[in-house]
Amino acid sequence: MNAPGARGPTDAVPAYYPGCSLDGLGKAYEVTVAQVLRRLGLALDRIVDYNCCGATEVKNLSQEVSVALPARNLALARSMDRHQVVAACNGCVYSLARANDAVADPAMRGRINATLEAGGAPTYDGTASVQHVLEYIYARAGPDRVRAAVRRPLTGLTVAPYYGCLYTRPKRYTGAGRSPETDDPEHPHFLDELLEACGAKVLTDFSAKTICCGGGHALSDLDVSVAFSASILNEAGRAGADLVATICPLGQINIENHLDRIRAAYGEEVVRPVAYFTQLMSLALGASVREARLKDNFSRPDLFLRSRGFA
Amino acid sequence: MPIVEKSLVTVDRTEHLEIEGIDVSGDWNSFLRSRVQVDLDVRVLDWVRSQPQGDTISRCWQCGTCTAGCCLHTDYGLTDFNPRYFIYLAQVGYEEELRKYSSTIWRCVSCNKCVERCPKGVKVEEVVHTIGSYLEATGGAPESPADRFDRAYTENLLRRGILDEADLFRTYERGEGRTMPAREMLRMGLTLLRSGRLRTGPLAHRTRGWRRFGAVLRAKLEEDERRRRESAGAVARAGGGPR
Repeated sequence: MNAPGARGPTDAVPAYYPGCSLDGLGKAYEVTVAQVLRRLGLALDRIVDYNCCGATEVKNLSQEVSVALPARNLALARSMDRHQVVAACNGCVYSLARANDAVADPAMRGRINATLEAGGAPTYDGTASVQHVLEYIYARAGPDRVRAAVRRPLTGLTVAPYYGCLYTRPKRYTGAGRSPETDDPEHPHFLDELLEACGAKVLTDFSAKTICCGGGHALSDLDVSVAFSASILNEAGRAGADLVATICPLGQINIENHLDRIRAAYGEEVVRPVAYFTQLMSLALGASVREARLKDNFSRPDLFLRSRGFA
Repeated sequence: MPIVEKSLVTVDRTEHLEIEGIDVSGDWNSFLRSRVQVDLDVRVLDWVRSQPQGDTISRCWQCGTCTAGCCLHTDYGLTDFNPRYFIYLAQVGYEEELRKYSSTIWRCVSCNKCVERCPKGVKVEEVVHTIGSYLEATGGAPESPADRFDRAYTENLLRRGILDEADLFRTYERGEGRTMPAREMLRMGLTLLRSGRLRTGPLAHRTRGWRRFGAVLRAKLEEDERRRRESAGAVARAGGGPR
């Protein structure tokens, strides 16, 4: 069972698993996660030579490969003497935690370790817990420390907090709701509280909070993915949101990749700018619009924020 | 042997699912009538249960919580996508009826609401994918766009250890016969290049020491796929369907 939390002195600085998105399309997320951690006095230690976690795709082809991929990363974290791994992508959190569930079975752990050994990787003892970076910031700094660190409150901005699917789901993998360090699996609120601490008005009852963006079917099932992405934006707009805040590169990229299709099918009035929650937090903690890389986003939250007087 | 005769039936889905005068079509939202049946064909059920991601199927008690929250069924309105029903059909071994959904079952987006909520701890999403892989492995389902994407994704990832997102996008879209207008491609490429996000081809990230690990995983992948095809094929050849 995944039970996040520090277990030893080295866990003061947990291992950080970036995943491929943060090293690629989600660069703005990576950069602003680092900014937010620095400004809150938190640190993470990057796993060197990590590999992609396999997300929700690989498991449909092979169970063992889908466990071995994340297990290699968890093993690397253990060889850094860490018991805690923090990831910023919902898909990564899911597949890393899923690997923990699988290797809880000794027979499976034996097979996975044989694979890791054959591939020249360290073996894995199954003792590294997984946490989303949102949960990490919430548990280690929390709304109070964020409030104290805010330099430029997001006053006047109404934000729809979008958590997506695999942040807490399923709890049997992620351990959601089982400790104060993990969010509520059905009605998560950590993001709400952190953004509120930044001075924004947060739509806590935002109805699309945890719906799906189409996930890995963004390209293979356009009808479904566009409809879901549009309904996230539409629900946000109906509730009066200026912006949508995301915590997952897949959600961010899916919505933004579909913007033209959404405009064509549902009209411009549905569209709202979408930004990683760390971009908004970084802005509140003193970074400029440029430093928070808000221009990176295809939905151009930079234009909107500048129009509201944020420089 | 599971007790599966809680017939949850409205008859609009099919007219011919009667056994000894009792409707066993398993359709949603109707009467419950319990009966113990001992002559079901459980080969499909046994196969699903034998797969690493299908082992929780026998816990299912057909409450329908998965389907009530299913974002495809409920939010998107694709009522043909009914995980409870897929599981039911696999449980009672009604393969012919199951095959009617072979062009629907792949559309699960893996949002995992069903797994989250299942009161019995069925890993519904993984069970449904396992049932889908049975249909595909036995020729009952054409390879779906999602299968092709899973394959393209996995091949891409196993090459260097880290996904080359731009290459995956290019390869998959081309394979599906879709092309992006040159102007849009240029606009997107420039935006990504400017912000240092276009790490593709020779610029792509790679994991050090990946060659060896990747080769081991590739062999494992092939072995798993071959084993799945063979065992599912054996079940299908032996013949499913109700008696």
